[in-house]
Amino acid sequence: MANDLALMLPEIIVLLTAIAALVAEMLRQPRVAFFVSITGLAVATMLTLPLLGEQATAFSDTFRIDTLSIWAKLILLPATILSLLLVRAELGGSAREGTAYVLIIMITLASLIMAGAGDTMLLVLGILLAGLGSFALVAYPRTDAATEAAMKYFVFASVTAGVMIFGLTYWFGGTGSTLLSELVILEKSPALAAIGFIAVVIGLGYKAALVPFHFWAPDAYEGAPVSIAAYLSVIPKVGAIFALAQVVRDLPVESAWQWIIAAVAVLSMTYGYLAALGQQNVVRLLAYSSVAQAGYFLLGVIAVGSSPLAFESLIVFSAAYAAMNLGAFAIVMQVGRTLEAFKNTGRQFPMIGVAMVVFLISLAGIPPLAGFVGKFLLFGAAMEAGFTWLVVIAIINSVLSLAVYLRIVVPMYQPSENEVITTDTVTIPLVRQVWFAGLLLTVLIGLAAQFLLGSIS
Amino acid sequence: MISISLVILAPLLAAIVILCLRKRAYVLALSSAVISLLGSLGLLFGPGVELILPGLPNMPLRLVATPLTSVLSTMVAVVSTLVLVYATGYMSQDKEKNRFFATLLLFIAAMQMLVLAGDWILLLSAWELIGLSSYLLIGFWYQKPGVKAAAMRAFLVTRSADLGLYIAVFLLIASAGSSDIAATLNTDGTVAIVAGLFLLIAAMGKSAQTPLHDWLQRAMAGPTPVSALLHSATLVAAGAILLIRTAPMLPPETLVVIGIVGGITALITGLIALGESDLKRLLAASTSSQYGLMLLAVGAGVPLAALLHLIAHAAIKSSLFLGAGVFQHSRGSTALKDLAGVARDQPRIFIGFVIAALALAGIPPLSGFFSKDAIIAATMTSSHAWLFVPLVLIGTVLTGAYMARALRILWQGNAQKKTLAGLHWMSAGVAGLVILLIVLGALFPTIEAFVAAPLPGNMLAVGLGLSAALSGLLLGWFVPVRSLMGPLLEKANQGFSIAGGFDNLCVRPVFAIAHACEKLERRLYTAVLAVGKTGVKIAHAIRSSDEQGIDRFIFSIVHRTIRLGRQARALQSGLIHRELAITVIVTAGLFVITAIGLLIY
Repeated sequence: MANDLALMLPEIIVLLTAIAALVAEMLRQPRVAFFVSITGLAVATMLTLPLLGEQATAFSDTFRIDTLSIWAKLILLPATILSLLLVRAELGGSAREGTAYVLIIMITLASLIMAGAGDTMLLVLGILLAGLGSFALVAYPRTDAATEAAMKYFVFASVTAGVMIFGLTYWFGGTGSTLLSELVILEKSPALAAIGFIAVVIGLGYKAALVPFHFWAPDAYEGAPVSIAAYLSVIPKVGAIFALAQVVRDLPVESAWQWIIAAVAVLSMTYGYLAALGQQNVVRLLAYSSVAQAGYFLLGVIAVGSSPLAFESLIVFSAAYAAMNLGAFAIVMQVGRTLEAFKNTGRQFPMIGVAMVVFLISLAGIPPLAGFVGKFLLFGAAMEAGFTWLVVIAIINSVLSLAVYLRIVVPMYQPSENEVITTDTVTIPLVRQVWFAGLLLTVLIGLAAQFLLGSIS
Repeated sequence: MISISLVILAPLLAAIVILCLRKRAYVLALSSAVISLLGSLGLLFGPGVELILPGLPNMPLRLVATPLTSVLSTMVAVVSTLVLVYATGYMSQDKEKNRFFATLLLFIAAMQMLVLAGDWILLLSAWELIGLSSYLLIGFWYQKPGVKAAAMRAFLVTRSADLGLYIAVFLLIASAGSSDIAATLNTDGTVAIVAGLFLLIAAMGKSAQTPLHDWLQRAMAGPTPVSALLHSATLVAAGAILLIRTAPMLPPETLVVIGIVGGITALITGLIALGESDLKRLLAASTSSQYGLMLLAVGAGVPLAALLHLIAHAAIKSSLFLGAGVFQHSRGSTALKDLAGVARDQPRIFIGFVIAALALAGIPPLSGFFSKDAIIAATMTSSHAWLFVPLVLIGTVLTGAYMARALRILWQGNAQKKTLAGLHWMSAGVAGLVILLIVLGALFPTIEAFVAAPLPGNMLAVGLGLSAALSGLLLGWFVPVRSLMGPLLEKANQGFSIAGGFDNLCVRPVFAIAHACEKLERRLYTAVLAVGKTGVKIAHAIRSSDEQGIDRFIFSIVHRTIRLGRQARALQSGLIHRELAITVIVTAGLFVITAIGLLIY
């Protein structure tokens, strides 16, 4: 028991941080809540470091402390810190500022639980916990758009969670246990395994915004504050993808789970970029882009069990994705939500222009940036798993993605007809720090991928 | 090994450093030129070196320092050092000094690489680099009208002739099985004849031989140091050097053609020079004509005579050009009518100019006398002496005539005193070259012994050459051009474009190809555009499927709901119904996929 607690120390610290921040908020001390949150998350990150290399389970196999869950902490906790900086910059001074921090930390905790889940009930717990926080955050501005988006989000969540729990009963019936590690028993009844897996894909696919469970995402991102959208597009998504990887680890191959994942991956990549091609709103465009990027993640998931690269590729791409996506959203916060606002920014603010171009071409997967390294590993993993055709489709979509991202780059360097400065020239220090950190990480992960890979394996 | 790399790398590195530092360009340029010169002197006095560098598989890159190549390398280094000294003064008022010096140094490095190259691959690379940097240098003052066109013309003419080099190199490597120049020199038979003719085409382009001669005169649009360097010792010399180096391989059939081309060029460009009304263009035409004489010597089978004339001509023509540059600065023009009397403004420079002119005409004891004498003697030993000897004598008469005419015009007229910026540097450059051209004659026996090749000597040749040179000088000084040339004058002023010259031989075919390419590209563009448009249409369709209803025909009910919803509040838009419906349908699709997957397993 004591050992279990020690293994879960980072999660416990995160929980305590949330509680402490809540207390501070109740005392009407949002500043304190903010600093407590940052400190707590930083401490939790530090405490994760000694766990590196650990392969264990806690609380009778229900929670896994393995490569995936440890790196989830090392990626998601710093990403949450960056998100908190963005949130502070955007919502700081509003009436219930502190609650935003508390909810965010709770969602991060839920994502960590998903990433380390060894039991179907922990999956459900993680999804529900993350969902509850997300609705409230999306509805935070209390505008019509935000409320509608939150409502939509909620309806989707209820339906998908319901279907998921219903499907999970099949697994429970087949194995007599809620543990994921017991799923091997289903080798003899592949149909049963498949039904349950589809249910899990629905539940986690909704959280990761995969097609066809993505419909909430563009509306929610658009309705929510940009910083919240940035957060939601990274942390719960990575958590859900890692959870999916945890599930398929124990699933018998006979259940055709790889085919389901491949189908969803193709749909997500293609649909996401095609839909993004027509957007005028940068937040919506990035929302669809994050749908497509989730499809790329699945290339790593599909290789779990058949390629040693699978976990490494998932981890590297998550780190890259967190850096570049948060960076891109931070710049949207500074510049504006419409393509119109991006006109001429590259000339007016060269640094912002350079940073945005780096984030976008990294998202498109152009060397030598982080996005390229991540995608390269994902492709390698999927090829090793025998899904070359899927890689071909992914590469074709990468070409398409360039067209999507260039839609933002082109206006940035177009001379505007009227020389009026359309953007808010006041640079917000916190936001600048975030995109600067993102820029640094995007370049560094791209260049030092070898080092990162070395420390993972 | 150290010297050979110093020769090439010093100017190259200096060029890069100048581009990075953007200051002290002339200090860097001069010091690198001196280092390069020391390197070539090291090669000259040191033992023969062959440096083998990794290159293509089975075809390593080679740099060789044989007696021939080290003499050539020293010549290039000396002339380029003096030209750089001169350029320091000439360009002192120019804002883009850095670009100028960097390009000039790149050119020098490429030229040294060409001279020292021991294999065809490296020689080709150097050849191309020379073409590029000369294009950049001729077009240096690209803001001036006509300069860009001149640079482009020079580039295109030499470029199209370069094709000959590519074909020749391909033939030689294919037949010899090695890219080593020394190894390919053993080639004989038909291959040697054909390859030799293609080498001649390449040389004709670079050395501005008829009918590809007119680019050189237009290339005078560049700064004067460029004219001096490119069009005396280096760029133009590349063609002659190519033939001199491959001379042991060339069979008699090819040699005759080379001799005829050289002779015709000497004749025609000599006439052009005589009728020319612009000093720099006159000198350029004279360059073509002198290279014609060198080709004549190669054609007569005595490449050593060509080499001696090449070296002498490099010093002579550089000093002439540099002198012309001073005159140009002094009067702001190079037209002969504007330059009348300029000799009285710049007497010291003019003295140098006169010495150089006499040397070019072939007056003893200047270096030009010895080299021209060697050429005449060489043609006398040839089996085609009946053709070559008259050609070379006419060439010599013409040389004397046009130089004397130029001197007369420069001398007769009134002085216009004017102080010049950077005159010291320029005078130093000119003085160095003039001294060189005076003492060079004395060095010829040494070079002869060093290269270890016999040179025919003939008292008859000396007499013939001297009388031809003197009669040319007298004609040029005393007889007006109009009566000297008569009806030929008009023809000469039009540049004697044989067979339409460059325009018919190169421009028209190139334009035809360009036109065809443009058509092709337009078609491709249309096709690509169509693909792109289709993609965008699909994207629009998908977007509307997301936001306006996945399929109007099947979901007409949903469509009605949307209309109802629009009238109601935004919250009750009913969109969620439809989206969940899509979710359910696609999930059903997933079940189908699973079923298929299960069946497969």
